Amino acid sequence: MEIANLPISPSQRAKLLSAGYTTLTSLSAVSPFQLARDLNIALQEASDILKVMPEFTRSESLHGGNAILKGAQTAWDMLSEEQMQKHITTGCENLDTILGGGIHCKEVTEVGGVPGIGKTQLGIQLAVNVQIPVEYGGLHGKAVYIDTEGSFMVERAHQIAEGCIMDMLDKFRHHQKVILACQEQMQPNSFLANIFYFRICSYTEQIAVINYLGKFLAEQKDVKIIIIDSVTFHFRQDFDDLARRTRVLSGMSLELMKLAKTYNLAVVLLNQVTTKFTEGSFQLTLALGDSWSHACTNRVILYWNGNDRHAYIDKSPSLRSASAPFSVTSKGIRNATSQCKRVRMM
Amino acid sequence: MAEFNEPRSKATASVSSSGNPTSFLSRASKCAKTLEEGNRSLSDDAGFAQVQPMMEDWHQPWLNGVELLEDSNRNKHFLPTGYEGIDVLLGGGLCEGQLTEIVGSSSSGKTQVCLYSAAHVADKHFGVVMFLDTCNSFSPKRIACMVDQLSSSFSGEAKERRLKRIMSNIFCHSIFDIFALLDVLHQLEFNLKHQVTSGHTKICLLIIDSISSLLTPVLGGKGSEGRLLMVSAGIILKKLANEHNVSVLVTNHMVGGEGGILKPALGESWKSIPHVRLQLTHDQGSNICNVSILKHTFMNHQ
Repeated sequence: MEIANLPISPSQRAKLLSAGYTTLTSLSAVSPFQLARDLNIALQEASDILKVMPEFTRSESLHGGNAILKGAQTAWDMLSEEQMQKHITTGCENLDTILGGGIHCKEVTEVGGVPGIGKTQLGIQLAVNVQIPVEYGGLHGKAVYIDTEGSFMVERAHQIAEGCIMDMLDKFRHHQKVILACQEQMQPNSFLANIFYFRICSYTEQIAVINYLGKFLAEQKDVKIIIIDSVTFHFRQDFDDLARRTRVLSGMSLELMKLAKTYNLAVVLLNQVTTKFTEGSFQLTLALGDSWSHACTNRVILYWNGNDRHAYIDKSPSLRSASAPFSVTSKGIRNATSQCKRVRMM
Repeated sequence: MAEFNEPRSKATASVSSSGNPTSFLSRASKCAKTLEEGNRSLSDDAGFAQVQPMMEDWHQPWLNGVELLEDSNRNKHFLPTGYEGIDVLLGGGLCEGQLTEIVGSSSSGKTQVCLYSAAHVADKHFGVVMFLDTCNSFSPKRIACMVDQLSSSFSGEAKERRLKRIMSNIFCHSIFDIFALLDVLHQLEFNLKHQVTSGHTKICLLIIDSISSLLTPVLGGKGSEGRLLMVSAGIILKKLANEHNVSVLVTNHMVGGEGGILKPALGESWKSIPHVRLQLTHDQGSNICNVSILKHTFMNHQ
């Protein structure tokens, strides 16, 4: 990196260059007094110039340890951190198993499927399950739900919260102490109070909310999941410039990745499907094309297998490809049973 | 570290190791002027003869072919990725001093190749691996699985120690925009130049997964700043690779081209930047991935 990249005025830059300071290495070990003498400028100005130098070139860092890169972690430390990480359960044990325990924090998971398969139900279920108290094996976090299609139904969320609480109390009915401790927390209304809901009506609003989330999350420290219901809805129609759409989408996905990593939360994106004509036949693929397919860490596809709902891990760095059946009941997402079949409308 | 002392009577100067070529002209002319003033009796030729060695110090030394070959044999080793098929295709493995690119559509195995190469290289004591992650796909759990497979002949404590050693040699840093990447690369360059290099703490492999997700938000549009950033990143990576004997591995994704055929992202300007380009394809429903060479410095396309 050269002097030309430093944020100093052109006259200062010209003085530096004519005195022979062309690289950062030459500036890194000189004292302000010496610099002022060489450049014929005031001492204050010289120390100001030295202050804008990037931190890694200051002399202290040269001798301080052999850290190759500031901010890098070894894989060993990350492994220990990851093993202590809790996952967000989906409510269905089979689905949790193929997901490696549930939805992972610090990762962006994309869930796609045909309309009516249960994507919004899964989204609401995750928004409820993230709030399960630590004593019951959950994360006790809050949820941010960004709704672009208007498919979030409060009554259904209430129903799912009730179902979740009933199941939790049922599972831990022998642990009396635990139940007493979380009495006020285990009410459906308090679960609803911990879901932050944003309704989006255009793509600019969507980009604005995602950019604003950084500040929001800095204030609300307990948020552990962000669910965007139909991240692609506003980008599919009325977008004239496809190149611009790609740029905006990739910028948005980088922002979401950064939020997931910095605030240690899970990001779940729900996506629609579209048909693609490849190799002479029509196939269903996730909307927004090939460029968006790299915006997520994990991808789960929900599909119908006969009359049953199944989930399939399509892309993941650490999970193997597998599929699992699940069902949507009045209590939410649960294990597949024989009763929950697709209803055929006659 | 350099300081250009104004010559009083003789042209003496202590010179920095990496001079900036665009300003050597100004310094050379200044120096020649001072020479002229100080030594008016000297003729022009003698004055130039005194300036010339200084000018040669300010740019990279000229190397002839034999020296380049020696350097390539001595310093630029091949880092095996651990996948036999890929190593054979690459003629030994990832070459230090070269920028290798892996292109593939979604879930074709690019991240797996990166993780496995990292584990394998760290295992064989080549040096430290630096993984720059842009899509949160660095999975320590997966690397632990791979190391488990690699050390199936060990057991118990030895396995645990081996795992710790390998994992401690892999560093991971998350980057989410192109400017942060450029900063990190400058920092790496600076640290490598000033580090007291002992064999085991030197970086030998730098992986960026994936560089295309950093560049797509800035490419395109009316201005060409995006392409500028892309080419600068390419230049810095290749410079890092060549000067410090690091092998650089980047991943790229594919986009739809004409007629619906997929082609690598990042466009025409990027095509000439990597030394070696590999394409991965994954057959649906099977565990086999195919690798083919798109571009190589000394091998034919296959």
